[in-house]
Amino acid sequence: MADEVVVGIYSIVGSSFCVASDDGQKVFDRVKTLMENGKKIRLSFLNVESLTSAFLNAAIGQLYGKFTEDQIKDGLLPPSNIEPDDLALLKRVVENAKKYFSDPERFDRAKREVIGEGDD
Amino acid sequence: MNINLLDNKGDIKCDYQGFSCLVEFYDRCNNCMFEEIEVDMGNVQWLDAHMCSPFGAILYQTSVANFIKITNINKKVGDILSKNGFLSSYGWMKNPDTFQTTVEYKRFDTKDIRYFNDYVISDLVTKKGLPRMLPKLRKKFVESICEIFDNAIIHSQTRLGIFSCGQFFPFRKRLDFSISDLGIGICQNIKQKLDLDLSPEKAIQWAVEGNNTTKAGYIPGGSGLKILREFITMNKGKIQIVSDRGFWELSDREETSILKNPFPGTVVTIEINTADKSKYGLTSEINPENVFN
Repeated sequence: MADEVVVGIYSIVGSSFCVASDDGQKVFDRVKTLMENGKKIRLSFLNVESLTSAFLNAAIGQLYGKFTEDQIKDGLLPPSNIEPDDLALLKRVVENAKKYFSDPERFDRAKREVIGEGDD
Repeated sequence: MNINLLDNKGDIKCDYQGFSCLVEFYDRCNNCMFEEIEVDMGNVQWLDAHMCSPFGAILYQTSVANFIKITNINKKVGDILSKNGFLSSYGWMKNPDTFQTTVEYKRFDTKDIRYFNDYVISDLVTKKGLPRMLPKLRKKFVESICEIFDNAIIHSQTRLGIFSCGQFFPFRKRLDFSISDLGIGICQNIKQKLDLDLSPEKAIQWAVEGNNTTKAGYIPGGSGLKILREFITMNKGKIQIVSDRGFWELSDREETSILKNPFPGTVVTIEINTADKSKYGLTSEINPENVFN
């Protein structure tokens, strides 16, 4: 197998509706295995018509809990055949994931904010 | 046993008053066990079709230990509810939707996401009688609905299913869609996952604000409702969430209230302005080379 691999989202999900966390999990499992084996992956969004943050959080966001940002930068090549607004959503999911995994105390802070608001 | 859906003549619309009527009705049904309940709809002069989603959820919950019969329904309401398939669950014949203007009432199990996607395509994308929308708007609407459905699967812990229905208002150029679950509700979910005690209406506010999430572990969360909120604000539409006794609505202003009785789960309704000509997504051009940087 070549070092650079194209992973077709449509072919893994089997539908142009890439909206469910469970389907995102299938993409994640595939990408994770390839990354663990040192492959460089280009995600292809060819034929994807609907995309949600729930799907992308499971498919891509989750990678930031398994790999370092540098490993992901190295392992994931720029995606192909992706619509500009889907790309914007992907970027948002990536930024959210980086924040999520770099801030484990987030829940406690949210808790304090809500309780503080109630005390006013 | 006969239970009136409404005590006096009136409408059930998708607003605080409409939900107050539904949860009051549920409260009355809640005391019944192994009864034949005749739901008397004689006083209902109008029912927003998408309210079939929470109403159907309530009836489904009640039917676990009772037998439900719907009676005394007026012609106008009966026509709509037999066209959208709601009354088919209660022994009525389904009327054909000749002009394809209804969005069908459906119940799904949590494993039915593919079946839900097919329903979205057939009822909201390809149906002839539904309003024309710009492709980007339709895409955003469909993605929002799917996001809400996935949220219900992940967070609600429902064992009795997810109920959906829609309604198009041609003169107002609005399309409404409701998704209801019979799960633990937002407030209880936050309590279980984060050990955070919030009142039902505060719990909804917490869930729709910023990047708050009850998700833990390796799948990040917290962006879905924020993105939905941004879309609805730009579209000048409406989001409404009812969970337990909490009622929250965002349209041109934000409103929070407490219902007198609880809804046995969560209902999320979105209303979009179908005449919207906004250019969704075009303001955020991103270079694919930088997406993982």
